[in-house]
Amino acid sequence: MGSGQIDRRTFMKVSSGVLAAGLAPTVAAEAKAARAVDETPYPVKWYPFTGHLDSDTCWSLSVGPDGRIYAAACAESVPGGVVRPVRYNEQRDDLDYLFNLAEKVDDPGDSGRASQCKIHYSFAPSMHDGVLYMATHLSGPPIDLPVYSPWYSWHDSKRCFRGSALLAFDTRTDQVLWWDTLIPKEGCRCLLHDEERGLLYAMSYPRDHFIIYDLKTRKRRDLGRIGSINPQALFLDKRHRVWTSSDYGRLVRYTPETDRLEISPGLLAHDPNYQTGWHSVFYDVAPSPDGECVYASTWCPNPRLMRIWPNQGEWAKVEDLGPATQPRDLSFPIDMYRDHCGGLTFGGDGKLYYVASRWRDAKYNPTPESRKQNEGVVWRLDPETLKREEVARLEHPTGMAHYVSRGAVDHNGDLFFGHVGNHPSGIFKVSMPADRKRKNAHLPIRMWG
Amino acid sequence: MQTKPKFHPNSPEIKAYQNEIAHQFVREGTMVAFPTCLPGMTTPIPLDESHITALDINSEGHVYGGTSGQQAHLFGAAFHGLTGIVLDAGAVPGCTSTAAICCGATRVIAFVNGPQGGRAVGVPYIKLAEDWIQEWGLAPPVLQELGECVAGEPVVHAIAVPSGNVVVGVTTHHLFTMDVQSGQISVLGEAPGRGHLAMGRTGVFGQDESTRLWRFDVASGHIHRADVHLPDGDWTAPLRWARDRNRGLLFTADDAGRLFSFDENKGFRSLGSAHLAPVGPMAVAPDGRLFGFCGAEMANLFCCDTVSGSVTNLGVAASVLEQRRYGYQFGDAVTGRDGEIVFGEDDNGGHLWLYFPKITSTRA
Repeated sequence: MGSGQIDRRTFMKVSSGVLAAGLAPTVAAEAKAARAVDETPYPVKWYPFTGHLDSDTCWSLSVGPDGRIYAAACAESVPGGVVRPVRYNEQRDDLDYLFNLAEKVDDPGDSGRASQCKIHYSFAPSMHDGVLYMATHLSGPPIDLPVYSPWYSWHDSKRCFRGSALLAFDTRTDQVLWWDTLIPKEGCRCLLHDEERGLLYAMSYPRDHFIIYDLKTRKRRDLGRIGSINPQALFLDKRHRVWTSSDYGRLVRYTPETDRLEISPGLLAHDPNYQTGWHSVFYDVAPSPDGECVYASTWCPNPRLMRIWPNQGEWAKVEDLGPATQPRDLSFPIDMYRDHCGGLTFGGDGKLYYVASRWRDAKYNPTPESRKQNEGVVWRLDPETLKREEVARLEHPTGMAHYVSRGAVDHNGDLFFGHVGNHPSGIFKVSMPADRKRKNAHLPIRMWG
Repeated sequence: MQTKPKFHPNSPEIKAYQNEIAHQFVREGTMVAFPTCLPGMTTPIPLDESHITALDINSEGHVYGGTSGQQAHLFGAAFHGLTGIVLDAGAVPGCTSTAAICCGATRVIAFVNGPQGGRAVGVPYIKLAEDWIQEWGLAPPVLQELGECVAGEPVVHAIAVPSGNVVVGVTTHHLFTMDVQSGQISVLGEAPGRGHLAMGRTGVFGQDESTRLWRFDVASGHIHRADVHLPDGDWTAPLRWARDRNRGLLFTADDAGRLFSFDENKGFRSLGSAHLAPVGPMAVAPDGRLFGFCGAEMANLFCCDTVSGSVTNLGVAASVLEQRRYGYQFGDAVTGRDGEIVFGEDDNGGHLWLYFPKITSTRA
């Protein structure tokens, strides 16, 4: 938009001058911070999935039980596309392509069904035996169709997705020990492992059902539907309760003792000026190292950060830590691929790292043309003070770098982020400054994707 | 190496497929998912207690219903004038499913099941016609326990006769009636309880042994076993029915989704087939079109032109008004006051779904 143009509804906003004046210091501070980041001690490197040229997304990135970084090279826009798990090889400073998942589960890309195209927030480690569980998700079309709809093809035995495939991958031997169908006909949006109880928990897509899988008996239980908008994360508390979120921005809690799903009376964080809580579902949730609370971002325009204390009070204490991204024109529903926050993970320095998008906006963030239209900003948040600082910007040589799905810290203490939006897709490594990294920084490990 | 798709993007088949995908939800008419509460003012029925499995409508056009799940709740609902409310009348202690709701002349009789068997509960008519925009005030309704219907047997279904004074019901093995005013239950004899009952012009029909229907003559109080032959078809699953209030016709479907009309004097007439089976809840619009859901797990809405017999797939239910929600499983249906169809969603977090069919013609 040129400088002479008027943005949407500006003519209607009698108080827009006041609003702009109030924001001016913020924008200036952001610009100052951006200059500082050019001299960041957090060097960034991009690792494209060149070994899997179909790949167009990377939804899963987690640290494995071995302390190494695993990611999913997903291929969902390619008919018949299949996912290949990859692992960062620190000796070669490159990626190892582990296997063609579709072949491992006997559901090849040319089956004529919706393909085993991706792993969506569904890596979950098992520490006692070095296994990394992974479960597939749907969306990739059959090889002879341009698109796939799970609603349309639900009753079509020829086309319907066979189901989310659950694999047990032994990180010690690099072998797939076994696989099973976790959720027939549906994808697995997110996965969690309660290692003490030997249970996996999952959310299905599209029906939004809460699934429990017993690893000992390899039997599945379906506790039924939660809503319509898939929560993008589950988390576990010390009492083995499993938490997620509802369409209307409420906590959903499964309690093993009662075997019931319950919905909280209170709402998760949202902007009360114009939002109701609807669609404030979890996008990403990271446990604090002491296990007492989690940090979460919402999958919603103007995503917000929260800190949740599941063991406090009847229904957990929820702290709104404010918006993760910049102010914007609220009269237009912004592209959710532009306004985004993900990749929450704790570093070895005890600080929360995450990536939030930032974009040029003539009114709210008038960055110069020399900067990219969309930026992925790596933030470092101090849990003690709740102050955040910008420590790096993700840089892709030619493409986008603002939509981070998941983040993790490896056993060397470096940060990694999965990214969505380039073809081929890939991951970012953000090397931590020496004084902020430590060995085995990934422990205690996150038990969900 | 990159995968090469095996189709031509501009082929007629692919274009047709893309067009189908683009219209997979509610291809005609409008769906509105209404939560089981006064939106913004009360809390809905809990997630796992809100499978709506039974509905009926009274002469005022108010809908009454019951849920299944961890507990069975009974509710009243109104959507016209200044209403727009689903009022939870309460949970029935010890009951986990609602088999039937019957709007009688003076009150509603609900039939609920639990570990203790099937029993009846009286629900007073609720003064729903308040100003639910501005201000309101009413006391919580009091449910009246009316006792077990047939010792040790769950209730399968029940239906109010047109006078509204009597309810005819069936347990797994017995037929009974209940006087709506007094709540007195009379067990009339043996009859298998399989699926829903249907109210004909003079009698109540239920699924008998083999491929026949029994008929209960309301006036005489007699059961006529094996009275009507079902037409050729697959008839092992419990029956569902819909009734055309104007023409007195009944509609049902066999296990394969084949639709039939039933006239007590003329017998059955084969219509078209729903594109999925089983056929679930159905209701008839005032213009004679039959709307219902078909298919398990992810039901599709269909419309049957009961004159020509043609059946149209209207896709998966989705609501973008009141609540944004997909609809997958439905338990019961009634025709609303103004011809809209009200479906009860048999799912966690179940809503009442108001379907406003497409207007198909204009007055000449």
